[in-house]
Amino acid sequence: MIDENSSTWAKRLLLLILTLLVLAGCSKPSATPDAKSAGADKGEDKGSRILTIGMPTDMVSFDIHNHNTILTEAIHINMFNYLFKRNSDLEIKPDLVESYKVVDDTTWEFKLKKGVTFHNGDPFTSADVKYTLERVAKDKGLKENPNYKQIKEVKIIDDQNFQILTDGPQPALLNRLSRIGSGMLPKAYIEKNGFDYFLAHPIGTGPFKFSEWVRDDRVVLEAYDNYFEGRVKDWDRVVFRKIPEDSSRVNELLAGSVDLIANLPANLVNVVNAEPKTTMLKATSNRVGLLAVRSTKGLPTADPKVREAIDLAINKKALAETVLGGYATPTRTRVTPGNFGADPSLYNTSLYDPDKAKQLLKEAGYANGLTITLHSPNGVYTKDKEVSEMIQAMLGEVGIKVNLELMERAKFTEMRAAGKNKELFLASYGNSLFDADTALDVYRTEKAKTELDYSNREVDDLLKAALVNMNPKDRTAQYQRIQKIVAEERPHIYLYSEQGLYGVKKTINFKPRTDEMIYVPDITKK
Amino acid sequence: MKGYIAKRLLQIVPVLFIITFIVFVLLYMTGDPVLLMLPETATEEERQALREALHLDRPFYVQFATFLWGVIQGNFGKSYYYGQEALPFVLERLPATFELAAASMLIAIVIAVPFGIWSATHKNKWLDVLISSVAVLGKAMPNFWFGIMLILLFSVKLHVLPVSGRGTLEHLVLPAVTLGFGIAAQITRLIRSAMLEILQQDYIRTARSKGLIEMLVIYRHAFRNALIPVVTIIAMQASSLIGGALITETVFSWPGLGQLIVQAISRKDMAIVEASVFIITLVVILSNLLADIVYKWLDPRIKYQ
Repeated sequence: MIDENSSTWAKRLLLLILTLLVLAGCSKPSATPDAKSAGADKGEDKGSRILTIGMPTDMVSFDIHNHNTILTEAIHINMFNYLFKRNSDLEIKPDLVESYKVVDDTTWEFKLKKGVTFHNGDPFTSADVKYTLERVAKDKGLKENPNYKQIKEVKIIDDQNFQILTDGPQPALLNRLSRIGSGMLPKAYIEKNGFDYFLAHPIGTGPFKFSEWVRDDRVVLEAYDNYFEGRVKDWDRVVFRKIPEDSSRVNELLAGSVDLIANLPANLVNVVNAEPKTTMLKATSNRVGLLAVRSTKGLPTADPKVREAIDLAINKKALAETVLGGYATPTRTRVTPGNFGADPSLYNTSLYDPDKAKQLLKEAGYANGLTITLHSPNGVYTKDKEVSEMIQAMLGEVGIKVNLELMERAKFTEMRAAGKNKELFLASYGNSLFDADTALDVYRTEKAKTELDYSNREVDDLLKAALVNMNPKDRTAQYQRIQKIVAEERPHIYLYSEQGLYGVKKTINFKPRTDEMIYVPDITKK
Repeated sequence: MKGYIAKRLLQIVPVLFIITFIVFVLLYMTGDPVLLMLPETATEEERQALREALHLDRPFYVQFATFLWGVIQGNFGKSYYYGQEALPFVLERLPATFELAAASMLIAIVIAVPFGIWSATHKNKWLDVLISSVAVLGKAMPNFWFGIMLILLFSVKLHVLPVSGRGTLEHLVLPAVTLGFGIAAQITRLIRSAMLEILQQDYIRTARSKGLIEMLVIYRHAFRNALIPVVTIIAMQASSLIGGALITETVFSWPGLGQLIVQAISRKDMAIVEASVFIITLVVILSNLLADIVYKWLDPRIKYQ
């Protein structure tokens, strides 16, 4: 019986294998020139006019107002222009704007540069500014809304001139207009085609125009010939590839198929430096690791002596040197140099005195030691788990027993939003506004209630005054005073400011930026 | 048979409804997605404003009813994270997922069938010991380690294949070998044990005694009967491959469903998770059905009611 069907089953098996082959064949995409070059551009660096950059994450969306992620913005800034942009020294310089003046505390007047066009050839005018800024300022469903809701109205004077009216004095307005979400959108194009069409076929005024986005794989941009500052010289095309796995990103660089990688992990720096064709580059980032300390009555950390003891027991230099591989700088403030209102005397310094810490604990009535809880996220910040474990060991040395609770991101955020954090939690904050207000506003009594339970009348008054102070010198002094108070009272114990690490081929010139933007026109061939 | 297939296809509807409901409840219970969408320093007012804008402040049953009505119309809603319709996001991952699944399955079958048979026909000889040892190694080796080793050898040292990404056939080789090798190890061992059992059956002895050459006995008489468990394991592996080969996808930057769904779960991105689970469930049910049909094809004695 089996013999009768023997040739049939063999045919069927063959058919099954053929089906699998066809499936594989059908789903094979047409190979793009970039896809081919990704594997084949080894050793052809000098002739290639394609710059390939390895990123750890994919771009979120072309909706510039609805993503709030730095690495997405690092791509966007090559397609969209801001009214103002920071140069590599972090100074704010006019970009699309020719000149501006402050009319009064709540009115700013701007004049646009001439000859700026969108990638479809439409001229860029005041109407586009009004459309862009009022969209993000008024739509509460957009993730960037909290950073722009201070803009009350954009008043068009003519195609080249307009005013921005704010809801109160806004000394940091130019900081807002030179950060995530302030790229300029094409009003007429979006109104004609719809926003969904724009998301699929985005245009901006930037040095590169959109070519292709294969989600979770690559974003391809091409040089825009009519860019108002002149076409980019060294590159015809830039490819941002998503390569999530750290070692694969480094291997792509070593194999020569990408020119630059972002988020190089500290433990792979030696691998990149050991290869003669590649090297590591670093920049101070705006991100500061810290311990948030709850001062609620009844907790040991309500006592300033205990907070000071915790600070003195932690060796920040050792943390930076070991766990963070030496790519971090100890700090006693979150307003690091380059931010408005920075106090340089609190940067690149730290306190460490375990003997005094023991003494302080004794004075606070904890001669026999005490037990506190440290909540730490796991896999959210750079080496968060390892940093927390080292802090646990350091505090143990002076007699503070730490119950370390490691949590995944969602649970950690939920705990904080509900104010259920106990004595300490580990966090790391960036500051895309580059203004002290972002870093220090958390100490306002009203805002500090949930997580820190910290209150200082002088800090409240200074914050209120500085927020609307249009005199930069006075305003800086106010923020520096707040930083001194915070460093003494320790609602946060600051640990270190992190550094951004990149791996690059030695055939290109690249200067990493503190704001973590990857501005392709600034990257040149050697 | 037609009636059986129609019945199985009809069963898909309640299964999809139950799965959709369970996923919705689980995601709803895991907490508030707005907390992950705004920066950590956002105020409660800012969070509440976003909740209202996304209709996340409505009661559970209203949210589920709205969602279900959308699904019936083929609309899973907008992704919280990407701000765009979820279903196209999931569907555009399918070609990459199918491509990797089919290629690795093909590699697995091409390796496993001859090696499984040789292993059984050379029981306890050096070839069997060698194949069995490699199979154990293949099963025990973690995917990410094997993948990275392949990258170091073929991409970084020899420069013959790309490290990662998707595009040309060359890009497919390393991820498909990484995945296929692990599956081949499992199928090889299965074919070996099934063949060993069958080779002791009476009809094999009969075939040999009537003077058939050994090749015909092995491939025509024995192997065909060893195929049923193999088809079962292939169908199971195919289902899990469609569900996402997360680690391999991550190591090789392969833009498949696995990466998408894991990221979506960690971001509590309801629409993407629901659309992904919906599509995966559909593919799993259909691949199981296909396996049942293949059983019947391979062995006409099997009857379905």
